[in-house]
Amino acid sequence: MVSDDVLRTHLQELRRGTVVMASLVALRQPGYGYALLQRLSGHGFPVDANTLYPLLRRLEEQGLLTSEWNTEESRPRKFYRTSDAGEQVLRRLLDDLATVQHSLATMIEGDPQ
Amino acid sequence: MTSLTDRYLAATLRSVPTGRREEIATELRASIEDMVDGRTAEGIDAATAERAVLTELGNPAKLAARYTDRRLQLIGPQYYLAWQRLLIVLLSTVPAIVGVLVAVIQATVVDNPAGAIGDGVVATFNVAVQIGFWVTFVFAVMERLGTPLNLPEWSVDQLPEGPVERDVSLTDVCASIVFLGLFIVFLPWQQFQSVVGPDGGRLPILDPALWTFWLPLLLVVLVASIGLEIAKYRARRWTWWLVGVNAVLNLAYAVPVVWLLINDRLLNPEFVGQFAWLREGGLDTITRISVVVIVAIAIWDVVDSAVKAHRAAR
Repeated sequence: MVSDDVLRTHLQELRRGTVVMASLVALRQPGYGYALLQRLSGHGFPVDANTLYPLLRRLEEQGLLTSEWNTEESRPRKFYRTSDAGEQVLRRLLDDLATVQHSLATMIEGDPQ
Repeated sequence: MTSLTDRYLAATLRSVPTGRREEIATELRASIEDMVDGRTAEGIDAATAERAVLTELGNPAKLAARYTDRRLQLIGPQYYLAWQRLLIVLLSTVPAIVGVLVAVIQATVVDNPAGAIGDGVVATFNVAVQIGFWVTFVFAVMERLGTPLNLPEWSVDQLPEGPVERDVSLTDVCASIVFLGLFIVFLPWQQFQSVVGPDGGRLPILDPALWTFWLPLLLVVLVASIGLEIAKYRARRWTWWLVGVNAVLNLAYAVPVVWLLINDRLLNPEFVGQFAWLREGGLDTITRISVVVIVAIAIWDVVDSAVKAHRAAR
């Protein structure tokens, strides 16, 4: 039996890159930090707040997200949106994920056992 | 908002560059307030919710590091191997050389034979600590600055030639050769340069009469020992032939020195006469200790080489 720690580490590594993809998909409609956090966990992407907030800033610095301050509501919030560059990167990432899934599927089917 | 969030924000932003501080502060405050609202909507009171949210966000220093892409390691994988290698090479050679030099100088020039070993050990330790600190410090700074090392890429040509593990490491051989070299230099040096005589006059430590035969023989043995070290390194491991030569060289060194010591012929009588504690029984003590140490080292060295040769031959 594999220990829980080993399993958790592998799951974490598998999940790491998918948070970026999920964020880029979700932010096709503009959203702010906490709302995105809620949406992601609602769709089965549980992310730590202290990972997501810095990640949004980094994606913005890389030009994959654009941002705009909304000061109309009770507290000022920074709304992020996937940029054109972000959309291109997202498409490449989704293609790659599909390729990985396909490769795995053929390998599972092709296996004699 | 209460002071707990303010304190958290202040602690986080302390290490964030000032240019981005304002913006991150406003955004992070809004996010914290959103998270607290989310929890109070579930019926948790505001104070408990605030504590829980800040606990969830975790150590402010860690969060700040994530915002600024700062490294939470002293020396990362890019530099670790270079750091480790440099440290091993330096620590395995320099402290021992300095320690031996200090001990020899203390015992001769400074005329403090009793404290020589202690001073040598202290110097060895101090040099080792200094090397450890400064090498690590320089690498930690490079890690922060992201300085490229420009080391040559690893290539297959660097693989060791034999599949057998190397029993004889380059650092060991270098250390031995340096030690033997110092010994060779010491013999003529003590004859001409040591300052121990009355009024700062020069007085050889070893009996000058020995130059007719015994000291040249010792020099030949020492030079041959350097040759043995080189042959051992080229052979990569101890062979039975090398063990034989090693045993002969150890005998050729230990037997004459012990014989001279026991017959009180090794040290210069004038030199011994300069020190009251040597005249009054100190010489016998030193002779006994030296004989035991020389015999023990010779036996240990031969047995060690034989054990290694036996292991390599399997």
